[in-house]
Amino acid sequence: MNEKKREAISEFDVHSGEPVGIIAAQSIGEPGTQMILRTFHYAGIEATIATSGLPRIVELVDARKRPATPITYVYLDSEARKSLEKAESVAKRINEVRMNGLVRRAIENFSKGTVKLILDMQAAEAVELTAAQIAQKLAKATGYEASVEGGSILIRLHTNNMKEIRSASVRLMKKVIQGIEGAGKAIIQQDKSGTFYIIAAGSNVSEIIKLDGVDKSRLYTNDVFAMYNLFGIEAARNTLVNELKKTLKEQKINVDERHLAVVADAMTYAGDIKGIGRHGLSGQKISVFAKAAYEETVKHLVNAATFGEIDHMRGVTENILVGKQIPLGTGSVKLAIKRSGSKKVESEKKQDKPQ
Amino acid sequence: MENRKCYLYLNGRVIGYIDEPLSFVGEVRNTRRKGQISGEVNIAYFERPNEIHVNTDRGRLRKPYIIVEGGRSRFTPELSDKLRRKEINFNYLLRNGVIEYMDAEEEENALVAMDPSGISESTTHLELDPASLFGFTIGTSPFPEHNALARHAMSANFIKQSEGLYATNFNQRFDSRSFILFYPQKPLVSTAPYDATGIMNHPSGQNFVVAISTYYGYNMADAIVMNKGAIDRGLGRSLFYKSYSDEERRYPGGQKDRFRIPPPTAEGYMGEHAYAKLSEDGIIEPEMYINDGEVLIGKVAPPRFLEENIGAGGLEEKTRDDSVVLKAGESGVVDSVVFTETPGATRNIKVRIRSLRIPEKGDKFASRHGQKGVIALVVNQEDMPFSESGIIPDLLLNPHSIPTRLTFGHLMEMLAGKASAVTGSMTDGTAFAEDGSKRIDDYGKMLESNGFDRHGEEFLHDGITGSRFKAKIFTGVVYYNRLYHMASNKLQVRSRGKVQILTHQPTEGKARQGALRFGEMERDALIGHGASLLLKERMLDQSDKTTVLVCRLCGSMGYYDYIKRMAVCPMCNSAPMADVEISYAFKVLLDEIRSLHILPSIKLNE
Repeated sequence: MNEKKREAISEFDVHSGEPVGIIAAQSIGEPGTQMILRTFHYAGIEATIATSGLPRIVELVDARKRPATPITYVYLDSEARKSLEKAESVAKRINEVRMNGLVRRAIENFSKGTVKLILDMQAAEAVELTAAQIAQKLAKATGYEASVEGGSILIRLHTNNMKEIRSASVRLMKKVIQGIEGAGKAIIQQDKSGTFYIIAAGSNVSEIIKLDGVDKSRLYTNDVFAMYNLFGIEAARNTLVNELKKTLKEQKINVDERHLAVVADAMTYAGDIKGIGRHGLSGQKISVFAKAAYEETVKHLVNAATFGEIDHMRGVTENILVGKQIPLGTGSVKLAIKRSGSKKVESEKKQDKPQ
Repeated sequence: MENRKCYLYLNGRVIGYIDEPLSFVGEVRNTRRKGQISGEVNIAYFERPNEIHVNTDRGRLRKPYIIVEGGRSRFTPELSDKLRRKEINFNYLLRNGVIEYMDAEEEENALVAMDPSGISESTTHLELDPASLFGFTIGTSPFPEHNALARHAMSANFIKQSEGLYATNFNQRFDSRSFILFYPQKPLVSTAPYDATGIMNHPSGQNFVVAISTYYGYNMADAIVMNKGAIDRGLGRSLFYKSYSDEERRYPGGQKDRFRIPPPTAEGYMGEHAYAKLSEDGIIEPEMYINDGEVLIGKVAPPRFLEENIGAGGLEEKTRDDSVVLKAGESGVVDSVVFTETPGATRNIKVRIRSLRIPEKGDKFASRHGQKGVIALVVNQEDMPFSESGIIPDLLLNPHSIPTRLTFGHLMEMLAGKASAVTGSMTDGTAFAEDGSKRIDDYGKMLESNGFDRHGEEFLHDGITGSRFKAKIFTGVVYYNRLYHMASNKLQVRSRGKVQILTHQPTEGKARQGALRFGEMERDALIGHGASLLLKERMLDQSDKTTVLVCRLCGSMGYYDYIKRMAVCPMCNSAPMADVEISYAFKVLLDEIRSLHILPSIKLNE
C-alpha cells in the first residue's frame, strides 16, 4: 500500500475524543424506532422458531442468560454433509427426546407403588425407538425396574410413599431418552449447493461439539452465553455483532456494523458479558454522580458517603451536572502550558467524605 | 348446563327463574309493544348461559327501530303517507308499537335490516334510515361511506373544534373563551341529520372554492395556501372572546378587597402606565384597546401577613396590589364590562375582551373528511391560479393529501359542492342514500348542463405568468371548518426572562413566559457532535450559572462577609477562598446532601 492510499484511509479513522458511544446509540436508536410498528416474517423454520425484532434486540442488549429461542447451527464434516443418511445419524444423536414426548399418559398406582407409562407409539416410531429400547434406556438412566407391557412401560418403585411415587413419576417424564439434553429438536436442512446441515432448537453446543461428524470449526449458536462458555469472550463478542446485525437486517434496518461493534465491545471488553442497564454497564460507571443521575439516586449517594468516595469528574454526565466543559470532542484537549500573567483557569475536583 | 333453569335478571340481579325463556321474552316484548308496560323496559335472552336480562335502569344507550313481523314492516305505506301529511308524528308510532327503542343487550336478539329490501322471514327490525348508524358528528358529514374509518375519527374531533355560531346570545354570555365566525354558511352539501338536529341554525364553517393543486411547494405536508382576496372579503374571519373576572373577597378579621386604582404605596405596584386606562372606579371602560401587562380590574387586597404594629400610630394602611392583568401575548378591545354580585354578597366584575382573528399563517382549517391543514402562505388574489371563467380558488389543497388517506368523500363533496354552486341548489350527501357512482354521474350531468367539465376538472392559469397549466386541475366547493387552534394564541418568544426559584433555571410554558427545554436528547446530539463548549453554554451559561465560594483547604462552601469585607469559610473560619462557577442545580444538590448529615467537599486543582 502506498503512502497516499494509507493517508486517504486514515482520513476515515475515528478521531481522538469522538463520542462513538453516543453516535452508535443514536445510529441504532433512530431507525430502531420503526421496529416497534412493523415486524417482518419470512418463510422457513428459522423465522418460525426465532425471536425477531425489538424483543430480540432487547434480549441481546440485556445479556440474558437464556435467550427465549436458542438455535444451534450444526455444520457437518466433509463426509456427513454430503450424505443424508449420515446427516440423519448425526441429527438423531443430537435430537433431544424426552420421556414426556413419548408418553401419552402416566398412571400412578399408589397402593402397588408402580407407575404405568402408556407410550405414544407413533411418537416413538418417529424417533426410531421401540418400547423395549425405551424401557431399557429408562432403567439405565434412573435405576428403576422397568418392564414392557404391550404398548406401555411399567415402573416398579417398591415403595408406598405417595410423595416419592409422585416425584419419581415427574422425574421420569423429564428424562432425556435419546440425544443431547438441552440441544432441542434437530432438523436437517439442505442449502442451495446440496450440502446438509442441522438446525437444533437448543444451545447445548459444548455437548454437540463432542459428536463425530460435526464440523467443530463452524459450530454456531445464537445463544451468546453458550458461545462464551465454549469458545470464549472474542467469540461471544462476534456472536453479539452477528446477531444484532441479523436481527436489524431482517427488519430492513440498515445500521453500520461498526456501531454494533461498539455496543458489543462495550458489553464484552472486561472479559465477561455485561448487559446495558442498571445491572450491567451503567451500574459500573465510576462516577457517583453519573450513577445517581441514572437510577436509584439515593442508594448511590448513601453508598458514596458511607465509603467516602471521590468523584474524579472524568465522565460526561457528572461534568454536565456541575456545569463543566465535558471531556469529549472539543473538550478533550487541555492547554499544556499556560501563558503567564493570564487569568488563572479554575478547574475543580469533587470529593465526597463521610461525616 | 342444558337442564339448568333459565335465570331471570332484573337490572343485573337474579330475581327468579323461567321454564320457557323464549315465550316469556316474546310475551314481555308484546306487552311492551301494546303499551301495557313502559317502553323503557328492555329484555334480552342469552342462549349460551341460558339467562334472561331485563333492564329498566338509567344510563343505557338506546336506539329506535321499526318493528318487523313475519317479513313485513309495521311502518306501512299508509302510515308513511299519514306521517308525511303530519296527521301522526313519531310519538304516535312509538305508542302504537310501530317503532321501539332497543338497548345494546336487546339488540343481541335482533336481526336488523338496513332497508326494506333487505327484510327476510327472520328479520325482526328495520333501521329508520341507514344513516342512523352514525352519530351526530359523522351524521353531519357528507358521503361518510366513502371515507376511511381513521379519517372519521379525526373528522369527529375537528368538527368539535370548529368555530361557528355556538349560541345566538353569545354577546350576553361570559364564557371564559369563545369564538364566533363572522359569516357562517350552511353547507352546500348537507345531510339529513344536519337538518334533523337543528345544527343548520348554528353552522360552523364556510363553503370554500378548492383546487387540488400545489403552489410552489407551499402546501406540502398538510399545509394549505389561501387566497388573500377571499380572506379580505371575510372568509374564515372570526372573533375571539375571552372573559376575566374578579370579586371583592372578604377575609377573617373584617378586612376585604376593594376595587380601585392601587396607590403607589401598595405592595407589588406595577407602575403608573399599567393603570392608565382604568376609569376612576378602578375598572376598565368598554371599547378601550388594551395590551398585555395592562390592568383590567384594579384591586387592592389586605397584606398577606398580619404585621404586629397594625393600627398602631396614624400610619397609612398597608395594601397589596391584586389587580387583574391582561395575560402575556394577549391584546384586544374591551367588549363588555358587567358589575354583579356573587351569592356571597361580594361585588363581582366580569370583563370580556374581544379580538379579531383574521386567517393568517399558522391557522388551522379542516374539511368534514378529516382533511386538516395549516395555512402556510396567503397569496394575493392576482397571484393565485385562475380558471378560464375567472374563478379563483380560496384554498389550494395538495394532491398528495388524497391517495394515501382514502378520503374519497372529500372529492365527492368537491364535485357535489361545485354542482350545487353552479345550479344554485343544495345537494344531499346523506350516508347510503344513493349509490356512489350514480351520485357522481348526477353531479357530472348537473355540471355538464351548465357548461362545466363533468369530472369537475378545469384548465387553470398561473396567476404569476398567466400561462395555462398543462394539466387540468380538479376544482370544486368544499365545506371547511375553521378550527380554534390559531398561531396568534400559541405564539411565544423569549430571550431572557423569568427563572424558577428552586433551581434558578428558566421557567417552562407559555403562561410563564417560559423557555424551550433543552432536553436529554438535545443534550445527546451536542455530545455526539463533540461540541463541548456549545453544550456548556446551553446547560450552564444560558441556564443556572452561579458563582460560589469554595474553601481551598477543606473544600466546603463559604460566604462573603460584607462587614469584615472578606470571604469566610464556616469550617476553617478564615481561609483562602476561591470563586468557582457551578450550576445552581448542583449547589442545591450539595445543600440537600448536607441536609442529610453528609458533608460533601469540593477539592480544587492547583
